[in-house]
Amino acid sequence: MSTGEGARGNAEKYAKVDRDVLAAMKRPGRAYLAGLAFALLLAVVLHVLWAYQVRSGLGVVGKMHPVMWALYITNFVFWVGIAHSGTLISAVLFLFRARYRTSFNRAAEAMTVFALMVAGLFPLIHLGRSWVFYYLLPYPNQRQLWVNFRSPLVWDVFAVGTYFTVSLVFFYVGMIPDFAAAKQHVLGIRKKIYTALSLGWQGTQKEWRHYNMLYLFLAAFATPLVASVHSVVSWDFAMSIVPGWHTTIFAPYFVAGAILSGTAMVITLVVPMRKYLSLHDYITDGHFESIAKILLLTSLIVTYAYIVEFGLAWYGENIFERETFRYRLLGDYRYFTWTMLFCNSVVPLTLFARGLRRNTAYLFVVSILVNIGMWLERFVIIVTSLSHDYDPYAWGLYKPTFVCLGVDIGSFGLFFTLYLLFVKNLPVLSISEIKEHL
Amino acid sequence: MADRMVFDDREQFLEALRRLLREGVPGERIRVITPFCVPEVEEILPGTRSRVRFFALIGAAGGTVTGLAFTILTALSWPLVIGGKPVVSLPPFIIIAFALTILFGALSTFAGFLLLSRLPSLRGIRSEEEYGNAFVILVEEGERR
Amino acid sequence: MAFLEKNGVLPALIAAAGALMAFVALRPPPGKDGSLLLVFLFFIAVVEGCIAAAAAGTMVNARWISSVRKELLSVTPLLLLSSFLLLLLIPFLDTYPWAGRPGFWLRKDFFIGRNLAFLLLSYVTARRFASAPAGGEGAKVRAAWYLLVFVASQTLVAFDLVMSLEYPWVNALFGGYFFIEAIYGGFAVSALLCLRRGGAPPAERAHGARSDLSDLSILMFGFSIMWAGLFFAQYLTIWYGNLPEEVGFIARRLSASPMRELCVAVLFLLFIIPFPVLLSTRAKSNPFAVSAAALSILSGILVERYVFLAPVVRFSPGALAIEFACLLFLFFAVVYKSSRGGALEA
Repeated sequence: MSTGEGARGNAEKYAKVDRDVLAAMKRPGRAYLAGLAFALLLAVVLHVLWAYQVRSGLGVVGKMHPVMWALYITNFVFWVGIAHSGTLISAVLFLFRARYRTSFNRAAEAMTVFALMVAGLFPLIHLGRSWVFYYLLPYPNQRQLWVNFRSPLVWDVFAVGTYFTVSLVFFYVGMIPDFAAAKQHVLGIRKKIYTALSLGWQGTQKEWRHYNMLYLFLAAFATPLVASVHSVVSWDFAMSIVPGWHTTIFAPYFVAGAILSGTAMVITLVVPMRKYLSLHDYITDGHFESIAKILLLTSLIVTYAYIVEFGLAWYGENIFERETFRYRLLGDYRYFTWTMLFCNSVVPLTLFARGLRRNTAYLFVVSILVNIGMWLERFVIIVTSLSHDYDPYAWGLYKPTFVCLGVDIGSFGLFFTLYLLFVKNLPVLSISEIKEHL
Repeated sequence: MADRMVFDDREQFLEALRRLLREGVPGERIRVITPFCVPEVEEILPGTRSRVRFFALIGAAGGTVTGLAFTILTALSWPLVIGGKPVVSLPPFIIIAFALTILFGALSTFAGFLLLSRLPSLRGIRSEEEYGNAFVILVEEGERR
Repeated sequence: MAFLEKNGVLPALIAAAGALMAFVALRPPPGKDGSLLLVFLFFIAVVEGCIAAAAAGTMVNARWISSVRKELLSVTPLLLLSSFLLLLLIPFLDTYPWAGRPGFWLRKDFFIGRNLAFLLLSYVTARRFASAPAGGEGAKVRAAWYLLVFVASQTLVAFDLVMSLEYPWVNALFGGYFFIEAIYGGFAVSALLCLRRGGAPPAERAHGARSDLSDLSILMFGFSIMWAGLFFAQYLTIWYGNLPEEVGFIARRLSASPMRELCVAVLFLLFIIPFPVLLSTRAKSNPFAVSAAALSILSGILVERYVFLAPVVRFSPGALAIEFACLLFLFFAVVYKSSRGGALEA
């Protein structure tokens, strides 16, 4: 009705946000389709190899005494770790009211949900007889047997299940106003889908009031949940008495490691996304600098944990502990350990330089190195401790087979397939929050 | 029928809203539709604090109780000593109780939000009205919504 | 208290208190009494924690920092006093089970040397941080340096001064637990200081903004959950592993009264009281609720330090009272002086 001169400028700004963010949903280009096809191919490889493994038995995976937890558990921990910083970045930065949250939160939340889907597959694959996974669920049965709640593996079911549910709700709730905005810009079947997904959101004052309270509470619930989930994953190891696993620092150490790897993965995903979708106005170098600081901080915490772990093994009188850590540094898997130390502790130190924190190409390289380092960390922790524990008579080495490696690589394919589908089908940035802060 | 005012500018919208209230239009009859959250509206049109928080509290408390009760009662229903741990081992049970606290708390908060904002709303889904990025004030005649 | 505002009175007081504590601690027979260690452990946590809270707040551009920064940083000279107190502990080192045995890490000169070095380093970095103009990039860099030294220093305090009392008991999280607890205590002190100032937000803030007090309450609330998490992570691992060399530490404390009740009290003071007290939004800006939570946290740290030492070390109540009173008085004196100074300048 009444529109002034300055008002037109504002309306134009809002419209530009809609255009820019929703432009991502236009017809995909060749590069995108090629990437999607490749990722899909890898995902198919995963399923084919899994089928082969189910048909032939776990022997084809190369897991042999004494290393019965190997690549699959490494991947499980790795993907749960990746899932961590999604909700953390989103929830913690929301609670601290950090503005740069809006540039990463949607991508990070999507990453969390997809990484958890991939992570959830690995215990099933690792089971061998995947179809009996329901033994882990507590349900009434005629034998009146319940699950053993004292077992860390059951804690995992509850923690990861809760984390997946809450992350999904958090991801979806954040998108409700955006679906309502997006439906006004598309036609046909998409319009119907977005309208249904928006639940009939109109943006009345009442809706916003309840929505803000809901979002605040979800963030507040999600924050301790994030820490608890990876603590529980770490307790899968720490509850045992295997040297190198049984240590009190494992919970915070794993949480910090998870955030480190998750933050690195956010950078790995958002740098190309920003370039491909031309979102430079919304995801600035300054935002990358802030997230690089999180990477640096968590890397320092992980380094602290490494120092404490190695130091206390040497300090104490426990010869098994000491031998385990000597073996990690100098034993059969030493190259992995040294690469891990280099990638997780040394490379991120360069981010003390402000110029490097703002250089997205450099950050991209660092993030990939950190991902490699964090994957190796889980491998080193799991394999070195198992292959070389108390009894020298039971020592042995582990070598993965092509099935194991193929499933591992295929999991990346599955993850990227899901992520690429997300980029084209859902709003990649939080439209309503960007407009609010404009 | 409702009297409708549409603005493209946030400040003009807020100004009009303040004017309406100064003119003595009761707050309950004003409905506001915004493309994103405008915190000032909450100050101009004061409402009660969202009751979603009670859903959060009740859900979380319910989750804690459920988690503890479930673990303890199932353990007692067939008392079996495993790994030298007591039948009722509180430290591990606390982990389950914690997970359920968060799960029930988050889900009940979400349910509370849907209930209190009357979502999913068929009227909203069917509605053909699209305001884009405009700020809308609807003043309803006498009758209650 | 007006005499405190004169120049030179404060250093003289600190020196006098140091001399008094030296006299008390070195009375014959030296080396048996652990009261100085207990007092030292509590105050080093609070003093380093206060500065760490200020540094952390500076790093993340927290708004509340402006109202308590000066008071928090005024405790810096006490770090120098703490270094002196560490030297007074030298005769006490014979109480440690590793004393007299060969070793590289656990030998007296290296032990005192590294702890002293990090205390002095934390004093120097804290001084540099305190002298940087607030709000600049320079202050952030110096805050980061202080925090690094703080983490190392608290870790050494935990592993050396406390954990090695029960050598070869090992708990890898002990260092992390100590420095998180120190920051937790630092936030509690910040909240008390904020209350002293009235806690009202300056007028220029946007309408409806949260007060500094509720920001600090949120931090205390968050840290209470974090503290509980770290506590649980240690307890669960030790309980579940059930290894004799590990559970001994807990068994010695939980098997007899009154230590058992004190352990439970620690859990209450550091988590079960602050958490529900600060749960509601309204309580987070209520002076009574916040001061109750803050005092509960600080006394929790003190009781916990006592629980760590008591099964191994003997205390003489008189020395404990004098030393504790000295440090408490000095703490109030430096904070009082800095807040008065602020009032005069303004």
